[in-house]
Amino acid sequence: MSVKYVPVQWNPFKYWYNLVLALGVGIYLYIFVELAPGILGYQPPINGQVHNARAFGSCAFFMLTVILMMGPLARLDRRFLPLLYNRRHFGVMTLFVALTHAGFIIDWYFAFSQSDKIAALLFSNISYDQVLGFPFEIFGVFALLCFAILATTSHDFWLSFLTPRIWKGLHYLIYPAYLAVVAHITLGVGQDFENMTFPYIAWVLALIVAGLHVAAWLREADPDAAMGEWEGICAVGDIAEGRAKIARLSTGDRVAVFRNNDRLSAISNACAHQNGPLGEGRIIDGCVTCPWHGFQYNVEDGCSPAPFTEKVPTYRLRISEGQVEVDTKANPPGTYVEPLEAT
Amino acid sequence: METATTILDVATWWGWIGLAVAAVFLTIGIDRIDENARGAYVFRPLLLPAVILIWPLVLWRWIVLETGRDHWPNRHRPPRRAHRYVALVFAIMMPAVILTGIAIKQTWPEGFTPVQLSEPGE
Repeated sequence: MSVKYVPVQWNPFKYWYNLVLALGVGIYLYIFVELAPGILGYQPPINGQVHNARAFGSCAFFMLTVILMMGPLARLDRRFLPLLYNRRHFGVMTLFVALTHAGFIIDWYFAFSQSDKIAALLFSNISYDQVLGFPFEIFGVFALLCFAILATTSHDFWLSFLTPRIWKGLHYLIYPAYLAVVAHITLGVGQDFENMTFPYIAWVLALIVAGLHVAAWLREADPDAAMGEWEGICAVGDIAEGRAKIARLSTGDRVAVFRNNDRLSAISNACAHQNGPLGEGRIIDGCVTCPWHGFQYNVEDGCSPAPFTEKVPTYRLRISEGQVEVDTKANPPGTYVEPLEAT
Repeated sequence: METATTILDVATWWGWIGLAVAAVFLTIGIDRIDENARGAYVFRPLLLPAVILIWPLVLWRWIVLETGRDHWPNRHRPPRRAHRYVALVFAIMMPAVILTGIAIKQTWPEGFTPVQLSEPGE
């Protein structure tokens, strides 16, 4: 939180998360590298360098696919939320796996000429004007560059420095990167004459990722957004004790209206840390805990408990004919608003 | 090949400029614009690769924060609306990419048997 920056803020959950992740990657690579050649029976046979490249490349794709599934799955079913908690470490590990894939490829296919290896990668195929035989490697280069930007800007400092809005905008690069990876596979190994097992699996998974994003979008669509300075949220009785109702205002902002000891308070739904959905958190001792990373805020003034200094905007509330209404104009972060009796 | 060499030259210059920006930002600038960084040094090497990659963005944000032009409401407005466009683009582009790949896929001529021209290397 808002204490001095450290390289990594470890906690027991992150240790376990990373341990399971590393074990999963290790087991996958062991099976692929050590056991798969005999099972797959490549004809014609391939050398170790190419086989390793395929092991790491496919592993990176599967990791990336899981990363992209986490977001929509968590929107559709809260039980997936813990997966989101340490997604940044997942992403950093994916970058290293993808870099290893690129290393094997470059050191085999582009290493035996007079030219620089990277230059050879860029000029060995320049058929950009055709689909068949398109230099699919460039999709991989683009994706790798995106992953590098995402992984290297994953420290909390970047969130604070760039602001969550710009940071998240930058991290939207994950989506074109994933599309590029699918194109990389489709125009690369997908054009293979023999073994199409991996491309088929990759295509199905890519379509599932697309489907999950559409499902999450439809789930979030809210056609009943009201207009005006005061906008209705819900009936007073619709908000459970210790919980919140989230609403999207006509301004585009999302507000979370909490019921705490039968008193109503409203704060921005976007956590100051990474814009996690505060309204999906629970109130404990007067503070709501962000379900993504555990940041806490007092729902009456939007301030994190001392010694932390994070703040979120607050909103004024009123009750009109049993309906909770919110003033669409947000107060500056940390502004105290007297709670409303939920009667 | 000349284009490839030019791209690599540009990338090299980009990296050197980024390194210069990082040298100043991570030693002087960061203390001026973020109180949580003051007295914290161990994490700074972790920031180096990102500064090299996105140094124009770093310079822009540094100037905005130094000149007090940061707009607080923006910190609480995530670009969540963009998710719908992601879903839409994925729904269109993913099948399009896959179907294109399947459509252009070549097949061996009927009855073709590959011939191994030489023994595999040792």
